Amino acid sequence: MTAAQFEVRVEANRRLSGGYFLLELAAAAPTPVADAVPGQFVMLRGEWGRELLNPRAFSILDAPDATRFSILAKAYGEGTRRLKRVEPGDRLVTTGPLGAAFPRPVAGVRDLLVAGGVGLPPLHFYARMAQRAGLSGHVEMYYGGRDRDDLVLLDDLAAWGVAANLATEDGSAGVRGYVTAALSPRLDAAARSGEVVRVLACGPTPMLAAVRRLVLERGVQAYLCLEENMACGFGVCLGCAVPVYGAKPYRYCCTDGPVFDAREVRWP
Amino acid sequence: MTEGIDLTTSCGPIALRTPILAASGCFAYGQQFAAFTDLRALGGISTKGISPLPRFGNPLPRICETTGGMLNSIGLENVGVEAFLRDKLPFLRDLGVSVWVNFFGVDFETYVDCARKLGEGQGIDALEMNISCPNIKKGGIEFGTVPEVAHRLTRACVEVSRVPIIVKLSPNVSDIVAMADAVQKAGAAGVSLINTITGMAIDVRTRRPKIATTYGGLSGPAIKPIALRMVHQVARALPDLPICGMGGILSGEDALEFLMAGAHCVQIGTANFAEPGACVRVTEELRALLGTLRFPSVRAAIGSLEAHAAEPEHLVESPWSGG
Repeated sequence: MTAAQFEVRVEANRRLSGGYFLLELAAAAPTPVADAVPGQFVMLRGEWGRELLNPRAFSILDAPDATRFSILAKAYGEGTRRLKRVEPGDRLVTTGPLGAAFPRPVAGVRDLLVAGGVGLPPLHFYARMAQRAGLSGHVEMYYGGRDRDDLVLLDDLAAWGVAANLATEDGSAGVRGYVTAALSPRLDAAARSGEVVRVLACGPTPMLAAVRRLVLERGVQAYLCLEENMACGFGVCLGCAVPVYGAKPYRYCCTDGPVFDAREVRWP
Repeated sequence: MTEGIDLTTSCGPIALRTPILAASGCFAYGQQFAAFTDLRALGGISTKGISPLPRFGNPLPRICETTGGMLNSIGLENVGVEAFLRDKLPFLRDLGVSVWVNFFGVDFETYVDCARKLGEGQGIDALEMNISCPNIKKGGIEFGTVPEVAHRLTRACVEVSRVPIIVKLSPNVSDIVAMADAVQKAGAAGVSLINTITGMAIDVRTRRPKIATTYGGLSGPAIKPIALRMVHQVARALPDLPICGMGGILSGEDALEFLMAGAHCVQIGTANFAEPGACVRVTEELRALLGTLRFPSVRAAIGSLEAHAAEPEHLVESPWSGG
């Protein structure tokens, strides 16, 4: 699937709890983002003039038809602050779909989807695709955030019949603690029963590092969806290097990833 | 009207179909852009900097955005001269655009070695010698900042090169004309002006520099006024030295400013990241602008800058100054 650069219009900017916003975007004609799969991303840029040059990368939350897709984000820096303020009708330039996706479901292997905060979109998309394929029972969601407000789009999971195991740092929803607190007993139970599970995770780097330690200790297969600063998103700026084990010390978040095998990532 | 405008130009002995080239480090080896834009519409491509051996680049984070620009410290990551000639050059050659291979070494011998080895490649129109990258630790600084050293290095590379050498100068010097003069006298066919300006940004939340190597190269429209000033200074002082201008070009108007200041052609760098079709758009904008301003050709615009008329002295003199 070849990426393209095209213009989209904002159809809706939904404000969610916890400072999250969900942008529903539509192009005038079918785009290759229609064929995007969970883990892939787009670069988005508004009419930002000369002050703010580069687009920002967003994991695709959904691509319901040939012309539309959506992203979920939180304001962090100047680019996301500006995107949070967009209104229906505003124009954005999109490049995508970019990057390598999570692996597809495998018969006999249960997928544990592990999301932390802003890392929800690719796993929410994965759960949605599983539901569309009649595989809701194949996936379980492990979803952590700061507090109850930091967990969004829970209604979707309930509607799809996807089990959601929540964790919050203040204990206002689910277990108290990080998402790994919910995940690790599940991995232990699978090990005891001989059930084959696989972990697909996305979230802040410290969370992914913790998930990686958990799965490596237990020999569980896992894929991590990473985030790095990137100027282009298509393998040119070389800004988004990811430290890996192997012949070369770095691979690229944008073209080799953003999804990497947890064993490959070279983190302490 | 604009259809008839002659976009051809040259940078010394290098003939160009248009004055717009893609800048080194911002276009990789070209392939990634084929999906987005018509590469054959470019005047040329300057490749990612090539060294004799492959380099893996710097630790993370390598880039960050700043007002009107970005800092990078990629660390001259590249595939090395051997893999470049084998895997990357054929694609570029087949495009039919001017192919400039940007290259560097880590010391005197490796620079010369790289220039010689690149001579084995077919379809290279020029070598762009990078003596100005701020992102290598070893020795690099002297090549780009001391005129005598730049002169010696340029002369040695010119002697072994089969194609013209354009020297890409560092703006991180106090006298850019002295550097340009030194490399011209050593046989450079032209100069590329300017490379990135060293800069820094800090994340106050983590109290760390925003890039791992602390300092990086600033590019983008933030540096355009400095780049223009340096192009103009060199063009005025050394009228016979062809200049390829660059630094924050985002539009046809930006490109025309560089041409008016005395550049014979320009490169577009940072703009390619956000907009892979930037070079082609800028070319069309330049064509339209030349038409609007009644320039029949790119060549007519080069160095067409007019000085402000000096004010008559009697008006400048203050009536209160006495005497």
